Amino acid sequence: MSNISREVKIWNLPVRLFHWVLVGCFITAWLTRDDRYLDIHVFAGYLMGGLILFRLLWGVIGGPYARFCDFAFGWREAWDYTKMVLKRCAPRFIGHNPAGSWGIYILLGLGVLVVITGLLAFGGEEGHGPLAGLLNHAQGAIAHDLHELLAWVMLGAVAVHLLGVLVESVLHRENLIASMITGYKSVPPGTVSAAGGRPVGVLMLVTIIAAGFSWFYGYLVETPEQPYRPFVGQQLPDNALWREECGACHLAFHPSLLPARSWEVMMESQSSHFGEDLFLEQDAIDEITAFLAGNAAEQALTEAAWKIDQSIPKTATPLRITETQYWIDKHREISVQVWRSPKVNGKVNCASCHLDADDGTFEDAAMRIPVEADSSSAAVFKIFQKAVRYFSFNSSPPNRLEDKG
Amino acid sequence: MKRKLIVVTALMFAMPLYAQADAVSELQADYQAKGAGPFSAAAGEALWNKPFKNAKSGKERNCTTCHTADLTQSGKHVRTGKVIEPMAPSVNPKRLTEVKKIKKWFVRNCKWTLGRECTAQEKGDLLAFLKNL
Repeated sequence: MSNISREVKIWNLPVRLFHWVLVGCFITAWLTRDDRYLDIHVFAGYLMGGLILFRLLWGVIGGPYARFCDFAFGWREAWDYTKMVLKRCAPRFIGHNPAGSWGIYILLGLGVLVVITGLLAFGGEEGHGPLAGLLNHAQGAIAHDLHELLAWVMLGAVAVHLLGVLVESVLHRENLIASMITGYKSVPPGTVSAAGGRPVGVLMLVTIIAAGFSWFYGYLVETPEQPYRPFVGQQLPDNALWREECGACHLAFHPSLLPARSWEVMMESQSSHFGEDLFLEQDAIDEITAFLAGNAAEQALTEAAWKIDQSIPKTATPLRITETQYWIDKHREISVQVWRSPKVNGKVNCASCHLDADDGTFEDAAMRIPVEADSSSAAVFKIFQKAVRYFSFNSSPPNRLEDKG
Repeated sequence: MKRKLIVVTALMFAMPLYAQADAVSELQADYQAKGAGPFSAAAGEALWNKPFKNAKSGKERNCTTCHTADLTQSGKHVRTGKVIEPMAPSVNPKRLTEVKKIKKWFVRNCKWTLGRECTAQEKGDLLAFLKNL
């Protein structure tokens, strides 16, 4: 067979791009599961969703080997084929084999579910995305758990898929991984080619790059004075007197960061406010206490508020935000060196790292540890950013003059 | 019309100075009524820079711990890192314009720095020192 076989295009550009960009999305989403990188994680999720939608469409209008009707095998056939593989007598399929087809259906289905639960969690917990406000915090947390569970199941499905690829490659003495990269397979004469689709593939690539560029554009044009905030939370209740009085000595910690009972005790014991005598007048105490208690953690104005409130026993009255279990859990990985660095200056100054501490929103991706900014990757990024700013139409004239000078 | 405008503008600029003079002299008169005075800028400056040992921490504190030695520059809260606007009225005209605020900060900061409230004499001296910066 081999001396008369020839190389034919089996996986055209849209199929290959779909496959490898999906792989990239899955890996990226996995690595960015920490809240700090939520914007990257969400982009990977949107891209994954878009790719799957495209694949479903391409499964109808795409060429041979890509269409679902070309690999519409039943469960029985998949099972029989698997048994033949185990007996090492499975026939070779040019396109998807029955077992591989089921792998694809399962992976596509899991992908859809992961994206949907991700959007539900993003909308319920963070209040962002197209499904914002559909679920409350508690339901959003359930969606989040499901999202994680499904991601693990999908990882398992990926493992089975990889195992299948390896076994098939050995069994039929062909490099299936290389085929998915080049698109070519060594096939008997007369095999239908899946050439074409190149314009669609190019359009896909352009769309993906443009989407990435627009999603992350803020990072390229940010300045040290105005760092980019990928997510901006809704405006929280404010009070001028609270800002002036509390903000005189420290960050005006938003009421949503502690329960009402904590604020009430704190305002009552104001002659011993962490070693200082506040000496506020009764009018001011009353107004500030009412504002603090009225917008306290119980009101669940933000994700942090809800989670802080959930993490404190109802009998406890913490007087420091740093005493709440949620805060402790979230800051566990911050090293002593970071806390001690003069740029951070201890645990009291949320704004050293949280870009939106002043607004009280504490969005997930609005967190930057200033100490880490001197790494080599950050330096490379800065050069890239400078280049973009230089060529960007948005750059202000003084910047350009400085660059030239 | 033009002259009127100049006068109004001049008054607007002068207003903080009047307010400052008012607040400081009102407080100093108040302190004098309690038997303090006369007030000396030199004594105020000496107190401003005088270190006090804190009973709890054992560390020395003075006004410059937070306000820094140069009062025309911003200071920094020693515990929270919060920026404190310059104390000198010449660069920060809002300083020493409100009696209520001056009283509040004297209580807070004297207790923190000296470990006790300042006497009427000390407060009068400090105001005499600060108002001409």
